[in-house]
Amino acid sequence: MNNETVAMLLAGGQGSRLGSLTYNNAKPAVFFGGKYRIIDFPLSNCMNSDIDIVGILTQYRPYILNNYIGDGSAWALDQYRGGAHILPPYMGQKGGRWYSGTADAILQNIDFIDRFCPEYVLILSGDHIYKMDYSKIINFHKDKKSDLTIAVMEVAWEEAHRFGIVNTDANQKILAFQEKPAQPQSNQASMGIYVFTWSVLKKALLEDAEDETSGHDFGHNIIPNLHAEKKQIFAYPFSGYWRDVGTVESYYQANMDLLDPDCDFDLNDKNFHVFSNNISRHPQYIGPYAKVRNSLICDGCMIFGQVEGSIISHDIVIHPNTKIIDSIVHTGAIIEDGAVIENCIVGARARVKCHERYLNQNNPEDEIRVINS
Amino acid sequence: MKNVLGIILNVDGEDTTLKNFLEHRSLSTLPFGGRYRLIDFMLSNFVNSGITQIGVIGSHKYSSLVDHLGTGKEWSLSRKTQDLSILTGSSNSRIGSFIKINLRNLINNRIFLENSNADHVILATPNLVTSYNFREVFAAHQKNDADITMIYKKDHGKYQFRDDDLCLNLEDDKITNIYYRSTRRTPFFFAEMLIIKKSVLLQFLDFSDRSGDWDLIDMVLSNMDVLKILGFNHSTYIKRIHTLSNYVNASMDLLEYEVIQDLFRDDNPIYTKIKDNHPTYFNDPSKVSSSIIGSGCSIDGAVSRSIIFRDTEIDKNSKVQNSILMQHCQIGKNTILNYVVMDKDTIISDNTSLIGKPDSPIVIKKGTVI
Repeated sequence: MNNETVAMLLAGGQGSRLGSLTYNNAKPAVFFGGKYRIIDFPLSNCMNSDIDIVGILTQYRPYILNNYIGDGSAWALDQYRGGAHILPPYMGQKGGRWYSGTADAILQNIDFIDRFCPEYVLILSGDHIYKMDYSKIINFHKDKKSDLTIAVMEVAWEEAHRFGIVNTDANQKILAFQEKPAQPQSNQASMGIYVFTWSVLKKALLEDAEDETSGHDFGHNIIPNLHAEKKQIFAYPFSGYWRDVGTVESYYQANMDLLDPDCDFDLNDKNFHVFSNNISRHPQYIGPYAKVRNSLICDGCMIFGQVEGSIISHDIVIHPNTKIIDSIVHTGAIIEDGAVIENCIVGARARVKCHERYLNQNNPEDEIRVINS
Repeated sequence: MKNVLGIILNVDGEDTTLKNFLEHRSLSTLPFGGRYRLIDFMLSNFVNSGITQIGVIGSHKYSSLVDHLGTGKEWSLSRKTQDLSILTGSSNSRIGSFIKINLRNLINNRIFLENSNADHVILATPNLVTSYNFREVFAAHQKNDADITMIYKKDHGKYQFRDDDLCLNLEDDKITNIYYRSTRRTPFFFAEMLIIKKSVLLQFLDFSDRSGDWDLIDMVLSNMDVLKILGFNHSTYIKRIHTLSNYVNASMDLLEYEVIQDLFRDDNPIYTKIKDNHPTYFNDPSKVSSSIIGSGCSIDGAVSRSIIFRDTEIDKNSKVQNSILMQHCQIGKNTILNYVVMDKDTIISDNTSLIGKPDSPIVIKKGTVI
């Protein structure tokens, strides 16, 4: 077992900007790309990066998420000593409380991390779609003798004001932070992926816990404090596909990227598998009058209608005389005879009744509509 | 169904028309239906019926069986309360004499039978495509205190018979005689699944060891008057795969909606080995109708009335009709395939046409490059 690094995956957020997609489900457990859930990406990255210990911090509506993670075997994390561990808030002698911030969630699990005596702790979040070999950022962290390494990527200048921006010297050492700056001085944006030397992080967490004015947040408290203490903080440049899927629009767009042949995000890369936890289902059946173009379709589906530019998850029944255009349909949904949907996200087990129509012409704002049961 | 030991063993031998697919594997692991192996059906039926002790008797070609079943995790059989054993079989090597259910397969595994605390044994063949729950037949078997309960199917057109199939003579539910089909026909044929009291089976093994009679059916026939042998009707879809033509027919049956409904039921799911592949991608010019498609495929061409297994790629302007493409085939551009059955890992280069006939499809071995 590799206990040099413990990964801590922040998966407790509600994701309220995803609207009804997270009504009864935590954001990391929302479906993505048909058969996947968002959390598959960081968990698969851990697997592909030889990280054997992953703590998953859950809080909001955890049932589906916990059930999905199970013993972690879908991501080869079912090990005797390491493996995947679900870490909900808990009671202690002095009572208990919810996780009040990203740093507080880690603080409350210091004992968990200490059990494995790691050198480094990798902080991940459960709402990004990307493939990354974390061993590279960890090696970078070691080479630079860094206390904290932040993964960054170049974003378009006009987008930079939406991100946490870092300024670095030629050696990638971080000189300054700007959180969502109006006048960004660089276009290197933080990806919310941090490698800490554990002793440094532990001390910072304990100090931050004493500070009653702190929001116990990595971005707002812990990292600025370490910067003020003149700790060695470096930026690890990442290039490749990375998307935050925190809003309905960005979630929709990232899904649609999978249908773009020019997009460099490859789910089919045999050297960097994306794993997911799926049960056996029968193969999909494409009926006699079905028309399917430019779409992703998963096992268990029965397709009798027209599907274009769409992502169809598991166990979906699409009846005859239907049109599913530029839409995302989640597991178990039923599209009844004659229904037409354009630019929609159909939630899990929702039923679009016969002859219901969600047309673009009735949608001047080009809004992505979410249909739920 | 704690009181039952389930054993999957080959009934009859293998037919030569399937030999191109059986060089590297046994009949039980022949790929079927876009993602399954034949044995998945019976194994899932056992699991769904609540049978917790299962033995699979292989032929001498074990590697595909062991590779497929692994620890039995996908069938929930790797738990402390469940048990999957892969057992050694024995092949029929006597010239001229035909053995239906070879007791030597069981004599080799006598300890497995004796160690089990079950009082009843279900014997079933791995090459049946059916979704079946044994609870009902087992309840009848127990209620009637039968020594043997044989599951039968009423004669129907879809089933392809052989001379050595067994016909049953039924009076009420009691089986009064068993004939080979070549000698005499009745409307009820044995569906190659039976329940037998373990004590009776062990006695048969003793007789067999002493007498040199190896066929369980012969044992049943010579003890017809002293044993209580019942029949039980199987009423849903069932197909036995033992020749190329009924392999193709059963595959094409899956294109009928009613058959899919009958085989893939929510209350009786068919489990198989999980593969982590991406959802199937239908590209812009693709045209697919009346087909079963596995996951991980990438389809740019036209596909109709075909079974496409997992991880297969079909390139632009290609046309695949009435064909079965097993796992991980690659079909080049401008290719025409009609009535072709190809084993896994086959590569068909651009501008190739392969056109078979409905009653004699072109058969392509595993790993062929054309």
